[in-house]
Amino acid sequence: MVDPIFDYQFRLILIGDSTVGKSSLLKCFTEGKFAELSDPTVGVDFFARIIEVQDGTRIKLQLWDTAGQERFRSITKSYYRNSVGALLVYDVCNRSSFEHIPLWMMEAKRHIEPHRPVFALVGCKVDLVGSDNKNGAWREVSCEEARMFAEENGLHHVETSAKTGSNVEQAFILVAQEVYNRIQTGEYKVEDGWDGIKTGFNRPNGMDFNLLEAETVQSTCC
Amino acid sequence: MPSSDSEDFESADEGRISPNKRERKKRLSSSNYSDNLEDQDNKTTQEPVLHKVAASVKDNIPKDGWDDFDIEEESEPTDIPQKEEIKTAPTEKAQASIAQKIDSQKSGWDDFDDWGEEKDINTKDPQLIPKSQVQNVKEIPDPQEVTKSDGWGWGWGNSLLSTATAGISNLTTQVSQGISTVLETGIGAPDPEELARISAQNNAKENNADSERRNSTETKAEPNEANQSNANEGAFPFGSLLSGVTKFVETTGTKVLAGGLDTLETIGKKTMEVLQDGDPGLAKKRAMLGLDSGDKPVLSQVLREARAKADEEDQMKEAKREAKAVHYETLFDDFEGLVHLEALEMLSKQVSIRIEERLRSADPNKRQDIKETLQQVAELCEMPDEEDEEEDEISEGTSRPDALHERLQRATRDIGLKLQFQPLIKQFTETLAWLETSDVTITEKAVYKKAVSDLAQTTALSVELYHKTAEMLLVKNRRSTADEADALTQLTVVLTKHISDLATQFTEKLTNHASEDKEQINNYITNVFLEAGNSSKYIENAFHLALPIVQIGAV
Repeated sequence: MVDPIFDYQFRLILIGDSTVGKSSLLKCFTEGKFAELSDPTVGVDFFARIIEVQDGTRIKLQLWDTAGQERFRSITKSYYRNSVGALLVYDVCNRSSFEHIPLWMMEAKRHIEPHRPVFALVGCKVDLVGSDNKNGAWREVSCEEARMFAEENGLHHVETSAKTGSNVEQAFILVAQEVYNRIQTGEYKVEDGWDGIKTGFNRPNGMDFNLLEAETVQSTCC
Repeated sequence: MPSSDSEDFESADEGRISPNKRERKKRLSSSNYSDNLEDQDNKTTQEPVLHKVAASVKDNIPKDGWDDFDIEEESEPTDIPQKEEIKTAPTEKAQASIAQKIDSQKSGWDDFDDWGEEKDINTKDPQLIPKSQVQNVKEIPDPQEVTKSDGWGWGWGNSLLSTATAGISNLTTQVSQGISTVLETGIGAPDPEELARISAQNNAKENNADSERRNSTETKAEPNEANQSNANEGAFPFGSLLSGVTKFVETTGTKVLAGGLDTLETIGKKTMEVLQDGDPGLAKKRAMLGLDSGDKPVLSQVLREARAKADEEDQMKEAKREAKAVHYETLFDDFEGLVHLEALEMLSKQVSIRIEERLRSADPNKRQDIKETLQQVAELCEMPDEEDEEEDEISEGTSRPDALHERLQRATRDIGLKLQFQPLIKQFTETLAWLETSDVTITEKAVYKKAVSDLAQTTALSVELYHKTAEMLLVKNRRSTADEADALTQLTVVLTKHISDLATQFTEKLTNHASEDKEQINNYITNVFLEAGNSSKYIENAFHLALPIVQIGAV
């Protein structure tokens, strides 16, 4: 069970073609496990983990692992709305999964509107690259190409391996930090009726405000 | 005394003044002050010193310190406002109060040695007078408010009043003045004059305290007056000019105010005084701006309230932390039950919208048919009223988790989907194993915690089951609405029964617990059943959310 103490909860959604490794990425991130074989996701599954952003604020990431299969497409699109961040996942050894990324991004933008989520472009399975190619895997998407696409579209980019755990945490922390920064700048707010960002159990709304006020009073006194 | 309120206080003078007040007012306004005082004087010939009182009253009447009292006591604010009225009021008040004094202060006259000084002090603050006047006019519309929070007008009115009423207020002014003196020196501007005065006042204080004591014993027959004098005595030594009559009376006797707050307030007042020294008109400006209006809370009161609130919050937080360990909703959320329910709700809403769209776009002739179909499906999904304890043809030998598995499979055999019951079965197996470990050292609280946690987890898994079923139904190729509806209904029956079964297991464990504290055990048992009820509600809720998903297969 997750330690219940956190300041914010961010809802992130993982989207991308089937078998690119969304569920594996999440299992690695939340449980530290990797399985060579896993069942395809039905509809949506959930994962959660608490991380800390740079100033030590504790963030619970609620992760929505969507099914990549075409037949679930009509269902998964109903789940986009309340996300504050979206991880666009592709397989570095699967060219078409990368080519579909713009479609996934458009779909996400359309369904998350009017909110503007933080996007990250996440390449998976880098462990297969340069291996003995027993699995018949070659890198089909170069890092440069992906980076260029990311820069053009204002996305963060990271290449990961759920098997080795390489860059997995970084992918999620990147997004969480960006969301948190946008909260700090006032771009994102906790809103009623939108579950992208929620305050944690231990942070009653307005507590910060009260502290701030108390300090102000003090300083004017002395 | 803490219970007495402003009403009591009003009556202190009211009783004496109110009859035919207005008539008397008219009469008095045209009469000679000293004549009236002479009358009083005659009544109390044994007090030769009274001449001095008369004199001081004359000196001080124009200052109008009275009008505060006038308002509070009269409780008919609409009459008062204009200057004429204010002028007449003091005379009459002075009269009344003096009459009072004569009754109650027979031995208080030796204080008059300090009188000259007193005058000094009061005439030193002429700028206060316009302020209190303006305030009065402002505050008239709402006497209630005035009573509650007009600390200023009340306080100053009082200190001015003291000149006229001698005895009692003499004391109070002395003391309050003493405090502001202390304040001044404390701030770092020692004034030799003030210092000299302090020593004189210390003597005066002693005298006054003495007379005060005697007063209160002598005037037991007049409790209200005693109140007043006590109120003065109790309130002013703390320097707080108080937030109104209520507070004023409350502070008498036992209640001692927190020194820090009151010092703050005194500082605030001092600041005002300094401000007004430079600009006597400030009082008017402030009043015009509404800064002194009666509904403005007094600082000390606000701080006190804030502190009380903070204390309360701290307590609540502590209790929350404690309760969280066994908080059902939190656990349900941690087991992903809430988010599955939410996702199911999203699906349900979207499907409902699709159904309505179909209805709207349908041919008007067909529309009624569709509605009927929807209704029929809804009826199929109604929970059976009585759980007919039907054949549990599960053979004796099977373990309870297997029996559950069998029931779940039988319930859903016609749904046409491969549902995952394993997590539920696994969880049940673990629960049973935990219950069987007859660890005697286990506390009743641990049993209770496990009960709540397991109920939450079972519920979360059940909700997940509905969510997954709904998703799979939506992507199913061939729908068989009637079977699906029946399967989901049966599933709900099995699951809610499973929940109550779990609850019973745990309550039995609790009942058999060898604990002294039977009451605590009973509380826990009640809570387990409550949470089981909660669980069943979540499950039924999930079932209802799945209804449109079954319905859309039929239309």
